[in-house]
Amino acid sequence: MTQPDLTPSSVVRDGARLIWRFVRRHPISFSLAVLGAATYAAAIIVASLVIGWVTDTIVIPVLDEGESYAGLLLPAAVAILGVALIKAVGIVVRRTSAGYLQLRTRQDIRNDLLDHELSLKMAWFNEQSIGDLLAVADSDVDQGTGVLGPLPYATGVILLLVGSLIMITAIDPWIGLGALVGLLFVIVVDIKGSWVTYRLWEVVQEARGKVSSVAHESFDGALTIKSLGREQYVSDRFRVSSDALRDHLIKVNSTWTSYQTVIKALPQAVTIVLIVVGAVRIDAGVLSPGDLVTVAYLLALLAFPIQLIGFVLWDLAGSQAGWKRIEEVFAADDFVDYGGLQAASNGGAAPVHSEKVEFAYATGGKVLQDLDLDLDAGVTLAVVGPTASGKSTLTRLLARLWDPDSGRIRVDGRDIREFALSELPREVSYVSQEAFLFDDTVAGNITLGYEFSTDQVETAARLAGAHEFIQDLPDGYHTELGERGTTLSGGQRQRIALARALIRKPRVMILDDATSAVDPSVEAEILRSLKSAALPSTIVVVAYRPASIRLADEVVYVDEHTVVAHGTHAELLRTEPGYARLVQAYEDDARRMEQEAS
Amino acid sequence: MSQDESTGKVITRALTIAPALRQGLKLTLFMAMVGQGVTIVTPIVLQQIIDKDILGAGAIDYSSVLSKAAVAVVALIIGIIVGRAALLRLIRSSSIGLSDMRTMTFNHLLRQSVLHVQAERRGNMVSRVTSDITTLQEFMEWGGVSLVVASSQVFLATAVMFVYQWRLALISLIGVFMYMGLMRWFQKILQKNYDSVRVEVGQSLGVLSEAITAIPVVRAYGTEAATQEKVADALESRFQREFQTNWFGNSLFSSAEIFAGSLTAAIVVGGVIIGVNQGMTAGQLIAFFFLTNLLIEPLQIVVETLEFSQSAASGLRRVIEVLDSEVEIEDPDDPESLRADGLSVRFDRVRFAYPGGPDVLSDVSLEIPVGARVAVVGETGSGKTTFSKLLVRLLDPTEGEIRVGGVSLARIPLAELRSRIAFVPQEGFLFDTTIAENVRYGRPDATDAEIFTAFHELDLGDWLGGLTAGLETVVGERGGNLSAGERQLVALVRSWIGSPDLLVLDEATSAVDPALDVALRHAMERLTEGRTAVTIAHRLATAESADSVFVFDQGRLVESGPHRDLLAAGGVYSDLYADWSSGTKSV
Repeated sequence: MTQPDLTPSSVVRDGARLIWRFVRRHPISFSLAVLGAATYAAAIIVASLVIGWVTDTIVIPVLDEGESYAGLLLPAAVAILGVALIKAVGIVVRRTSAGYLQLRTRQDIRNDLLDHELSLKMAWFNEQSIGDLLAVADSDVDQGTGVLGPLPYATGVILLLVGSLIMITAIDPWIGLGALVGLLFVIVVDIKGSWVTYRLWEVVQEARGKVSSVAHESFDGALTIKSLGREQYVSDRFRVSSDALRDHLIKVNSTWTSYQTVIKALPQAVTIVLIVVGAVRIDAGVLSPGDLVTVAYLLALLAFPIQLIGFVLWDLAGSQAGWKRIEEVFAADDFVDYGGLQAASNGGAAPVHSEKVEFAYATGGKVLQDLDLDLDAGVTLAVVGPTASGKSTLTRLLARLWDPDSGRIRVDGRDIREFALSELPREVSYVSQEAFLFDDTVAGNITLGYEFSTDQVETAARLAGAHEFIQDLPDGYHTELGERGTTLSGGQRQRIALARALIRKPRVMILDDATSAVDPSVEAEILRSLKSAALPSTIVVVAYRPASIRLADEVVYVDEHTVVAHGTHAELLRTEPGYARLVQAYEDDARRMEQEAS
Repeated sequence: MSQDESTGKVITRALTIAPALRQGLKLTLFMAMVGQGVTIVTPIVLQQIIDKDILGAGAIDYSSVLSKAAVAVVALIIGIIVGRAALLRLIRSSSIGLSDMRTMTFNHLLRQSVLHVQAERRGNMVSRVTSDITTLQEFMEWGGVSLVVASSQVFLATAVMFVYQWRLALISLIGVFMYMGLMRWFQKILQKNYDSVRVEVGQSLGVLSEAITAIPVVRAYGTEAATQEKVADALESRFQREFQTNWFGNSLFSSAEIFAGSLTAAIVVGGVIIGVNQGMTAGQLIAFFFLTNLLIEPLQIVVETLEFSQSAASGLRRVIEVLDSEVEIEDPDDPESLRADGLSVRFDRVRFAYPGGPDVLSDVSLEIPVGARVAVVGETGSGKTTFSKLLVRLLDPTEGEIRVGGVSLARIPLAELRSRIAFVPQEGFLFDTTIAENVRYGRPDATDAEIFTAFHELDLGDWLGGLTAGLETVVGERGGNLSAGERQLVALVRSWIGSPDLLVLDEATSAVDPALDVALRHAMERLTEGRTAVTIAHRLATAESADSVFVFDQGRLVESGPHRDLLAAGGVYSDLYADWSSGTKSV
């Protein structure tokens, strides 16, 4: 996170580029914001002039020289109020336009991020942590555009500074020079201080991330930690990260405070010096007391905005850090290539073929190689193999969640990579072991926003063995499931996910251990009903339970990254010792024990 | 702790919980006051020089002007030094105090029974030790400081005003308090809008994060367009809400500028009239212009800080709530150690229910002799997992007693209990580090060779050999680089390596393929000779080979005995077994 080559000038340069990128899309709101800021700056300068004028024409003549104030007070009050009114208008225009610019930009970026992510390959997602991606879409977008809020104000402050110096110089060149030197000094200290603290702040952010990730992992794994009695170890680990954060915080805040006290006191020191210079110039007759009051008043009003210049540098650097993480997402260009093929509207079950498919995840060795598969239309195929043999990967390739490194997969003779966006899923449905449910109703989770009748929803749910428990839910099919459907059991979630696939009457249906959390008898029932429902589907199912395997027309035995054998269950039992060992493990074991017992 | 408990009380509690916060606080506050006092130097110097030197009779006496300026500069320097020292003290004590509080909160959360550590609440728990404490920290270091600084500035500026001319000071003070009231009122009006913005923000982020998390599903079902539209709608509605609130807030707060202008106008008009009638110098009135600004500026900060302090207080309240909550699983006050040999188990009329919920287990009594291999079976929801959690004291029974090795479970020191009793839960949670390091969670001093041996003892040598980096394989976040079955293997070895006397497996091999499952079971049977093993199983093969089977149904222990007897009895178990064996028959 900490970049050693970062300097204030590079921050300003890159920051300007970043700002331009945002501003270009909303030029009107930006211009309005700057206009508002300029108005605000002008109002402050005029306000100090008014106070000087009041001093010379009312305060001193009346209180010091005993003149009458008749007719003077009303214009003074009107002038002061008028200036305040202009200042208020300036603030509203600036803040509202800047708000519009910032909020719209955030909205744009978030939409763009999702669009971009939706078109990337799963290989890319596999290398990201979902938590990081969510952080990019949430806090990084906020941080990346953070500079847009104070930007118009900062522009206003610069205008204010320049305007003030011009005005002070016009009043008296010597005082103007003093103010210039003094203010420049304040600004230099301010920028220096902000920069030093910003670098320290980056370290704090890292320490904070560490605390958060230790906490996350500890609470996630609480059950494991407790059952192993390792609370003390985890607690020590947390204390170390918390203490590191504490020390960094003390350091950064102390540095910041040291600069801040100086930055706050300096304008006062400048003012005191200028009062002395002013006294000299008044004595020389070139300056009125009102002029001196104007200068002092203006400096008092400037003290606060000047402090903000340093903040802008922070915001600039912070925005760039946030934007860098956003840009990493946008820079990913491993897009899924879609063809132009439309899904067949009513094709019936489709044959599936794969030729010489090879696949490896970026992080490891070959997962599948030289995989050939021929499936006739309407066949139910069980995919069987030992733990980590590549079964799940095979199903993901068939549904085109991933693309093979080489070789091809065809559905009904067409390469699945030729389908247009969103078209392949109309022919091929895929259900994974982890049933992901949306924060929506039960029915909404089954239809996923497509048009289906209530009857169709119910039929699909019945087929998936879900209808009964859904009816028992408080609002039946209209029950809101809440985030990730946490109120349902694993088996119930799987059955809803299954109904989601069934309702589409896919030509090919792929079930990757999709009923693992369902009781065995229920699973068998679901599979039986799938076969008897005359679904126009070719079914590929990853299964362990021999009962489920027996229901399949054909079986492929996957081991050592490829299809070892393809045939009926009975054939494979005869010809493939590895297969027999796997599916008959429990039976063999039971038999052996009986022999031992007798 | 109730929500309406006053902020003051909460802060007092915090000071007792983390004494570091309180250390030298009075001196710090005094120093901060002194440090801030210097802001009133400029108006006073200006008044003095205008009245005494510029408007005074005759030519300007430069030595008088310079000496006044010199005094002011010295005061300024002293102010910087003392003020800085005060803030450094405040930063130190608050950082130390809050870090202590963070660690305490973490430990407390970690010690709560699994009852509280449920998936949906984990995010909340993390924010107790991250964002809630951060809010407090920011408040202490930014808000708290400004509050101290601002109030001392207000106090001193008011004092000077009263010295100059009390009538005008009164006008100014009344105006300033009206201004503050106005700001508070605006803030209250805006609060409602802020709340609705928060809801919109939460909703839009929910929709967006769901979309990103669900990308595999979106792709599998071709719902890209619908997903984009849903997110775009949520973001648009959030924008509308945010922008409206932004506009409304800006209008309200800029009207405060007009009020501040009116106050200045009132000071001019009132000052001139009062000055003429009651006596006041020109310099004094001019000083008033500056002093009024010195009053308004910090009050803006105070108002903002008050809002800030509300959120800090509610963060603090949540933290205190955690610290006040009871730790259910406590180390015993009157500990009794286990004997060194094997462990028996005895449940005596045990009942368990979550607070306010129905019984999950009722009236369970059973005995498991030393060295027995026991299987616990039942349908989903029968209470068998709760049984296992009670047995390893991740939960305490609502009623009844559990004894292990003849000692009441609640009296065994927790450290001893964990080292003698191993529990392997179904999910096989792995930490984001290497396989070797994960196994060391089970026994910190295990050498690589020992870990290697443990894998081989359990017939997992082949699997380990198949990994490119072997024991040094990094498993990823929550073990994501391994399959569910592989994670369970590592978790099993991790518990195994501690050589426990009582091993409790809760469907610990549910995702492992049948052949490996059988091999593992035999390996463990071979190795657990003399140790007590309790297996919660959904694969009834485990039950067949067990010495005894306990059958749970709807929270009750309904049958128990050896596999054959239960099968012959024709009860719940024989039904379960029929279901299972029809499922496993290969022909």
